[in-house]
Amino acid sequence: MNRRAFVALVRKDLVLELRGSEVVLAMVTFVVASFVLFRFGLGGGRTAGGTRAATGLLWVAIVFTAMLALARTFAREREHAIWDGLLAAPVDRALIWLARSCSTFVFLVAVQVVALPAFWLFFLQDGPAPDYGVLIAAALLADIGIAALGSLVAGLASAGRAREVLLPVLFLPFAIPLVLGAVSATTGTISPQTSGLHTLERLGYLALYDTVFVLFGWGLFEFVVED
Amino acid sequence: MNTTAAARLDRATCAALVAAVLMPVALGLIFFYVPNDADQGFSQRIFYFHVPIAMTTYALFAWGALNAARYLWTGDVTLDLRSYVPMHLGVIFGTLTLVTGSFWAKVSWGTWWYWGSTELNTFLIIFLFYCAYFMLRFSVDPGEKRARYSAVYALLGVGLIPISVLAVHLGQDVIHPITFTDHGANMDGSMLFTFLMALAAMLSLAVAMYLVELRGKRLDEQVTRLRRLAEGTR
Amino acid sequence: MPSPETAVLCDGLVRRFGERAALTGVDLHVAEGEFVLVTGPNGAGKTTLLRVLATVLRPSEGAVSVRGHELPRAAARARPGIGYVAHGPLTYPGLTARENLELYAALYGVSADQIGPALDRVGLDDRGRDPVSEFSRGMSQRLALARACLHGPSLLLLDEPTAGLDADGRELLREVLAEPGRTVIVSTHEPAWFEGLATSEMPIRAGRVAA
Repeated sequence: MNRRAFVALVRKDLVLELRGSEVVLAMVTFVVASFVLFRFGLGGGRTAGGTRAATGLLWVAIVFTAMLALARTFAREREHAIWDGLLAAPVDRALIWLARSCSTFVFLVAVQVVALPAFWLFFLQDGPAPDYGVLIAAALLADIGIAALGSLVAGLASAGRAREVLLPVLFLPFAIPLVLGAVSATTGTISPQTSGLHTLERLGYLALYDTVFVLFGWGLFEFVVED
Repeated sequence: MNTTAAARLDRATCAALVAAVLMPVALGLIFFYVPNDADQGFSQRIFYFHVPIAMTTYALFAWGALNAARYLWTGDVTLDLRSYVPMHLGVIFGTLTLVTGSFWAKVSWGTWWYWGSTELNTFLIIFLFYCAYFMLRFSVDPGEKRARYSAVYALLGVGLIPISVLAVHLGQDVIHPITFTDHGANMDGSMLFTFLMALAAMLSLAVAMYLVELRGKRLDEQVTRLRRLAEGTR
Repeated sequence: MPSPETAVLCDGLVRRFGERAALTGVDLHVAEGEFVLVTGPNGAGKTTLLRVLATVLRPSEGAVSVRGHELPRAAARARPGIGYVAHGPLTYPGLTARENLELYAALYGVSADQIGPALDRVGLDDRGRDPVSEFSRGMSQRLALARACLHGPSLLLLDEPTAGLDADGRELLREVLAEPGRTVIVSTHEPAWFEGLATSEMPIRAGRVAA
């Protein structure tokens, strides 16, 4: 693997985002606003906090927030017609995908650094303390899957008409098992009656999800990126 | 060229004839031959529709995905239609699966959908994937790019199936805390025979529809090509 | 079968976008060291041809080989020796000139100490740390030229490089193009300007080489 090219591509994404934040700030605002929405939607009572519903909402919010990041994936390359520059270069197409997945992963983690404490503030203060280790592990694993598959699907969606609508439509069927796995892993953490094995199984599932779609992304991106 | 076209015609017609024979036979077996189910009575027979249709949907999807992989590997453009048509039929059969599945849920568990069924829930995810495939297909202009993108997405679906099965299985405690054991594990001789006939009938129907639709779409493409030639260099 | 001295060989090259064929059968032979002008009206297929040769687009039909490597099968091997100047500058507006060249240096495996001289060559050494979004069209073109030549390509492909260049820029372009040891293919609306540099002209019309 061309490590220098990989590092340069990731650094490029991170530098650009740091300079003119297109994605991360919007995602943070979106996810916190979603929590407020959910909290009010569920009603202000005790039942809203620390329940299965709250966990589910956390993951739904994470997935929808991730869509914002994915929608902007490759947007710069598209808008400024830079693809030809990257494609003409002697760089493995899969490496471009890998670099993009890594920068997307970093963005997702950056958002969750704010989102998870906000989630705790809105929903978990009232109830029993969750297993933060599991929550964070699940979040990281989910982020890998979203970033890997999302980068591939973002490429597919950018080809056609109505790409803003197409991306969620293409991505969400894959988000369903991911959310299922994540909720199943973290519900146990919030109402802690389930065994360690139960949680480990589900975290293992998320890791399997990641493995499968990383392999697919690595193998299929070259078919997506060329005109 | 003429001989292969004629041979294809024969294949489609043959398949249609086989389906035309098997379907009434299967229907007859389902309604008149197989005995009533001990627990659920007459309405349990929906099982002989639902499961064969579901299995046919999966078979169609597998065929579509296989041809998608072959297309990406070889670049043979005829494989694009041979991947798309099964997926298209899969949506039709998939819709029927969901409808019969709903009836089956009513019969087996008393509600119009049953969230405790691994099979139904997995199918729901797959069905949504099919619909997304179509959204993708219709958003890209016809040509090599559309064929390529359709193939990539179809292959992603291959990863989705086992992932979904596993997720739904592991997530049972989340989706529906109280699970019933699925019905239909042990079938006696006549039930098994009926089931297999129903499956054969559904598969032959799918094959016939596949060959007919494929032929129709190929003719459509030829007409377009000829029209383009007639209009001059484009 | 391309001989070692053949830089570019096209035989019946067709490229379709959906139903429309942008290239309808291009036959082309460019020997090493030649300087070819590709002319023709807008929409004739000049840009598409250059993009195929730059290995950015795959041929729909026909045989293409660049620097002895067959496309698309051996495209990866052809890329290190190709420099491509497109319509747009192919640079990230949010990065500085230097940062853009650092990215491309990493992609092409060029040592970082070549960047200073590259910027110098195109007269941008004092603007290296400015964001590209602040560049004029002429400056962007200079940067594009620096980017394309950074890795010392043996085949240079340029898509209407004179458009938007001021007098100084044109002079610089002429200097760069006059450098020996390269095969050059330029698409242009101003063939006369390349007098003295070009060895042949190839008019394209409706996706194929006009008689």
